[in-house]
Amino acid sequence: MDEKWLLRVRNLTKIFGEVTPDVCDRTGPQFNSNICPKTGAVVACSNISFDLYPGEVLGIVGESGSGKSTLVQMLYFDSDPTSGEVNFRPIEDGSVNLFELSSQKKRYIRNHLMGMVYQNPRDGLNFRFSSGGNIAEKLLMAGVFHVGNIRIRATELLNHTEVPIKRMDESPVRFSGGMQQRVQIAKAIANNPPLLLLDEVTSGLDVSVQAKVLDLIRRLQDELGISMIVVSHDLGVIRMLTDRTIVLKHGQIVEHGLTDQILQDPQHGYTQLLVSSLL
Amino acid sequence: MTKLLEVVDLEKRFELHILNEKAIEALRQVSFNVEEGEIVGLTGKTGSGKSTLMKCIYRTYLASRGQIQYYEESGGILDLTSASEHEVLRIRKKEMTYCSQFLQVIPRVPAIDVVASALTARGRSVDEARRITSEILERLSLPKDLWDAYPATFSGGEQQRVNIARAMIARPRLLLVDEPTASLDMKTKDAVIDMLLDLKRNGTSIILITHDEHTLTRMADRSLHLENGRLKEVVYA
Repeated sequence: MDEKWLLRVRNLTKIFGEVTPDVCDRTGPQFNSNICPKTGAVVACSNISFDLYPGEVLGIVGESGSGKSTLVQMLYFDSDPTSGEVNFRPIEDGSVNLFELSSQKKRYIRNHLMGMVYQNPRDGLNFRFSSGGNIAEKLLMAGVFHVGNIRIRATELLNHTEVPIKRMDESPVRFSGGMQQRVQIAKAIANNPPLLLLDEVTSGLDVSVQAKVLDLIRRLQDELGISMIVVSHDLGVIRMLTDRTIVLKHGQIVEHGLTDQILQDPQHGYTQLLVSSLL
Repeated sequence: MTKLLEVVDLEKRFELHILNEKAIEALRQVSFNVEEGEIVGLTGKTGSGKSTLMKCIYRTYLASRGQIQYYEESGGILDLTSASEHEVLRIRKKEMTYCSQFLQVIPRVPAIDVVASALTARGRSVDEARRITSEILERLSLPKDLWDAYPATFSGGEQQRVNIARAMIARPRLLLVDEPTASLDMKTKDAVIDMLLDLKRNGTSIILITHDEHTLTRMADRSLHLENGRLKEVVYA
């Protein structure tokens, strides 16, 4: 029979400002704006729904302000949704809405079952700690307390992400952007999460470093089978990394499909414009 | 013989919203079957719809009308025009591969790993995948010096061999190949053809696009001739 989904997202909505019943009907791509003309409320995400299956890599594309980052921030509990549901298979076999859980339980999910890699390494790393210390922090939160084991695991992870071990006691503040990003990825996967969220992880890196980070992510996916959500405005990154893609505009999904189909046979006018703008 | 694929009244129309709703009719009322272990050639002039047809089967293109019934190994039947993304991915991972005319890979991944990844992604160990890859690359006479190099800088023929190796290594049930021998010399061309015929003997069905008479005569059991998006003629070998 058919495999079961890992993550199920239904009608996820995030509104900044006054929440009126019809605010989602007054915004979106058809109005060419996500700002409600009546109240000025900003609809960052409007009724987003999708399923993610084990081992799948889902891309989320769209221009700046389309709601991509808000979406993953809600999934990682960095931001509360206005409405909507998220079910996650490891939690009660997917039968509960994660947003109704206690903050303690949410923290548990963040620490044990999810990893997040932010665009800015400063959001994901603590620059007052060494790179090894950053990984230790994540492991401690996930309940690993044995110092020796933490050290071994940190070494293993930094090896895996090709960060020189002899620099593991240095703060990542002295690392290059690409290296910081790889420490961040090592930290994010330290607890072997079934779900990894990646928010614009290669933006601002030069192409050779970008290639290395992309290769690392693809390798992790091949070897560990982690499900991933990859947010990017870069269609090249989406093409390299993802199996399926969702296209967001003004907070709404305008199109979803297999990534090669989205890139080669886009159906929506906005996606056609996006793809034809590709260098 | 056992049926593998049944294409019924397939139509494809591209609607270009950003070009004043311009529409292009690429395929019209295309119907045919593919049996297990059969090689079906697609022929026709450039722009006749060969690649469009192949991409509709792989679901890179969404069909506008019609059905593509795929008979799964498990016995189920899946309409590839309307199956969920997840189901299509499952078939692509386990049963169907597509070898395009151009190689697209993650930059700075060595050729051997580009090919081996097709096996590791299907659960084989890295060592085993590399061993099987070495055998295939050797058979395709890709110089050993290149195995650890990055394909981006390869010549057209070298890239093509990496591409074809990656598509066939996992021994799919259905292989879609677009011009597999276009930029190869006669000897390498025959090596590719021999390997594809080996797959056929093991039960793989192949849909083949080629302009090369030699490849077509050596391989195809049957060829479908397309003209302006319509199936004009079926030629039996």
